[in-house]
Amino acid sequence: MRFRKSKEPQKHKHATDHRSQHEHEQVPVTQTQVTPGLQDRIEETAKLLGGSTDLGIRTFRLGPAGELLIGVLFLDGLVDQARVQDVQETLSLQAEKEGFAKQALKEQAVIEWAQNAITVGDVKRATDLQAAAQSLVSGETVILFDGCQELLSVTTSAPEHRAVSEPVTQTVIRGPQEAFTETLRVNTSLVRRKIKDPNLWMETKQIGKVTKTDVAIMYINGLVKESVLQELHARMDRIQIDGILESGYIEELIREQRYAVFPTVNNTERPDVVAAALLEGRVAVFIDGTPFVLLMPTVFIQFFQAAEDYYHLSDFGVLRLLRLTSFFLALLAPSLYIAITTFHQEMLPTSLLISLAAQREGIPFPAFAEALMMEITFELLREAGIRMPRAVGTAISIVGALVLGQAAVQAGLVSPAMVIIVSITAINSFVFPNYAISIATRVLRFPLMLLAATFGIFGIIVGMLALLFHLTSIRSFGVPYLTPFSPFVWGDQKDALVRWPREVRVGQKGGKAE
Amino acid sequence: MKRTFLLVLTMLLVVLMITGCWNRRELNELSIVGAIGIDKEPGADQYMFSVQVINQGVISSKGGGEGIGQASVTTFEMETSSMFEGMRRLTTVSPRKLYLAHMRMLILSEEVAKEGVGPILDLFSRDHEYRPDFYVIVTKDTKAGDVLKQFTQIEKVPANKLFSSLEMSEKHWAPTVAVRLDEVEASLVSLGKQPVLTGVMVRGDERAGESEKALQRLEPPAYVVYTGIGVFRGDKLVGWLNEEESKGYNYIADNVKSTVGPLACPQKGEVILEMIRSSSNVQAKFQNGKPQIQIKIKAEGNVGEVLCDVDLQDPKTIEKLERNGEQRIKQIIQRAVDKAQHQYRSDIFGFGEVIHREDAKYWKKIQGEWDEVFPHVPVVVDVDLQIRRTGTKVNSYLTEMRKAREKAKEQK
Repeated sequence: MRFRKSKEPQKHKHATDHRSQHEHEQVPVTQTQVTPGLQDRIEETAKLLGGSTDLGIRTFRLGPAGELLIGVLFLDGLVDQARVQDVQETLSLQAEKEGFAKQALKEQAVIEWAQNAITVGDVKRATDLQAAAQSLVSGETVILFDGCQELLSVTTSAPEHRAVSEPVTQTVIRGPQEAFTETLRVNTSLVRRKIKDPNLWMETKQIGKVTKTDVAIMYINGLVKESVLQELHARMDRIQIDGILESGYIEELIREQRYAVFPTVNNTERPDVVAAALLEGRVAVFIDGTPFVLLMPTVFIQFFQAAEDYYHLSDFGVLRLLRLTSFFLALLAPSLYIAITTFHQEMLPTSLLISLAAQREGIPFPAFAEALMMEITFELLREAGIRMPRAVGTAISIVGALVLGQAAVQAGLVSPAMVIIVSITAINSFVFPNYAISIATRVLRFPLMLLAATFGIFGIIVGMLALLFHLTSIRSFGVPYLTPFSPFVWGDQKDALVRWPREVRVGQKGGKAE
Repeated sequence: MKRTFLLVLTMLLVVLMITGCWNRRELNELSIVGAIGIDKEPGADQYMFSVQVINQGVISSKGGGEGIGQASVTTFEMETSSMFEGMRRLTTVSPRKLYLAHMRMLILSEEVAKEGVGPILDLFSRDHEYRPDFYVIVTKDTKAGDVLKQFTQIEKVPANKLFSSLEMSEKHWAPTVAVRLDEVEASLVSLGKQPVLTGVMVRGDERAGESEKALQRLEPPAYVVYTGIGVFRGDKLVGWLNEEESKGYNYIADNVKSTVGPLACPQKGEVILEMIRSSSNVQAKFQNGKPQIQIKIKAEGNVGEVLCDVDLQDPKTIEKLERNGEQRIKQIIQRAVDKAQHQYRSDIFGFGEVIHREDAKYWKKIQGEWDEVFPHVPVVVDVDLQIRRTGTKVNSYLTEMRKAREKAKEQK
């Protein structure tokens, strides 16, 4: 156990007496002479942190005659050094100016005096060293007073955070180009700046036994459905977990269906999307340490509604239909190809059949194996593209293009039509405004391919029916996942498949869409 | 979770059982059959079963190197006593299982058709793999196998050539009729209608047409051509209608989409008319308890070509041309009816069905002896032709030349 060296060389001489004794007892060295009471408590606090080397400790005397000995503890890197300095300076200036009467050194009085003297940040009183340790890890500065049970913790935190930058995963051409950062407070302020209404309320919880991650629940009072809010609180309170490192932890723990492939909680890194969701009466959950904010309740069609649908005016959001088509293509293109070419050749026009058959001449694998091989290769490429170091990016794309395309075809391992199918699938799986749904199609594509390879279109129908049953059965915070289609809500159709012009949407009962 | 899993498992097992006739085949395990031909030597009891299989590798657009030297289709022949047996026996010749869903043509030889098509067609409508939407044709003066062996120009697959050529000629020329298998069957079992099938023949040197060299010649040594309509009585071919009579048949059967036909000019020469629309209405009328067939044709046409000196600017001329045209169509129709009634005594027009619709009780009485009644049923034809346009030109050069001469004379 080692303490950080004090930075006060003028107090050096006082330390000598105790040092030998401490060393003898295997107790770390301090170069400041402190009364045993204070020293013990500092050591105890340090012990609570396991003697972590980033703990900064300073002890010094206050007052014209050095009447009061105090210890200042903080975690280096978590605190703003200037503010810690400020605290120390304020205290010592005040003490210098006022001096200490004998009376003033009494326990209560010292604490109250210090509390008043400190002008920086939020000052809390505590007696428990455990609490002091907790304050330290939250970026607060702890001040211990000699002969005093109570202690002060001052918020001096200045965590490292990056500036607000452009969205990386959910980009738009027209629209706000800012994205959330890893800092909770920055994120909430980004939304507050968009919705300047006192009804924008926020509640904060700490989740995670160890990480004690700050989680903020934001909603607009009056628009939000009480039952959703209550349910959310209940579910969050039930969470028993050591650590929350990303919004995904919370998402997994608060959704209804543990095994659902489809996301029932939306996530976004865009403040404008959060603002829009809040205005629709949804709840946003901010998690400290991640730029992704959770939105709930969430329904299926939301994953096809891009922020830009509302920013570009000329297409009336018709692109959503395209995205829905893409959803089915991303899900079914390989299965349909397998089913039709191995079971239902009569469905194809003769000339197309001949052309496809000619391409398959000499291919050694059945269509299913061919498709599986290519799909897996593509998934590998996608995975490699995410994981690999940036510097080798071009290598992957060149090899990928060659493997997936030309070489495989020229070697006669794969038919050109299959390459087209795989490419179509790949392109289609990237059109969704939210990556979450793309993962769902990726997961479901393979079982569907298997069904197609064993039962043909019949199998696909069975698979899709099962999927439909599943989709109708799942709920997000009590809201059926297929709203507004099942149950059918007429008023919400204006902003479901297609975004109707604003005049049509507004002025109608229930114009607020899903 | 366990329950769901079991449920899914049960569902999949059930799926396995309730799939109907299905079969998993890779595309490159298929031999796609384009056409089937059936021959029979007179007096023989075995059929000759010819199958035209598409050679996929050669047909494909990438073609190139590997395809050289191979024909785009292969025709296998097999002697057999039944169609199904022949089909299966062909696996001894063909490297792959024959795939029949994409068959486009069924070609029956004249001999087979004369002996009766009844025993042949059963397989094609019974087997699940056939789609009954292929066309059935009859050869004329040639063997079905030989038709399938001819190299065809432009279209690489002869079956496709036969298919599209039949469709095109039915659409734009009229004296052919594209009959699908289901239509053949319907008229086979109907008492009041007899089947017809378009005839096909090879014109030119058949043997030369079977050689690949035929493709390299600018003028092919042999063509496969459609010619007239074969008339059946029951399931037996009894004779042929010539081109004009075939057109007459199609007028009655409301099969004319567009055709071209000459009509007489007021003086001499002809105007060629392009029929653009034609609809027929066949009705049965009873006079003194005797049926009479009334055929009403409404036709529209454009002047397509003028081969005589006629003033088309004059509405009266147009009217006259219309009357002439009506006469002409009427003639064609009557000739077809005449031939069917008196030469072949086969009700290919379905007059019996018309009478049936008109008076079911009467039909019940006579349906047994309809074949005897049919030749004596009076047929009245009424044609209404209207000429709509004269093309991008009004008068022909002949007329303009005459007018110019007359003008010059006047000025003198």
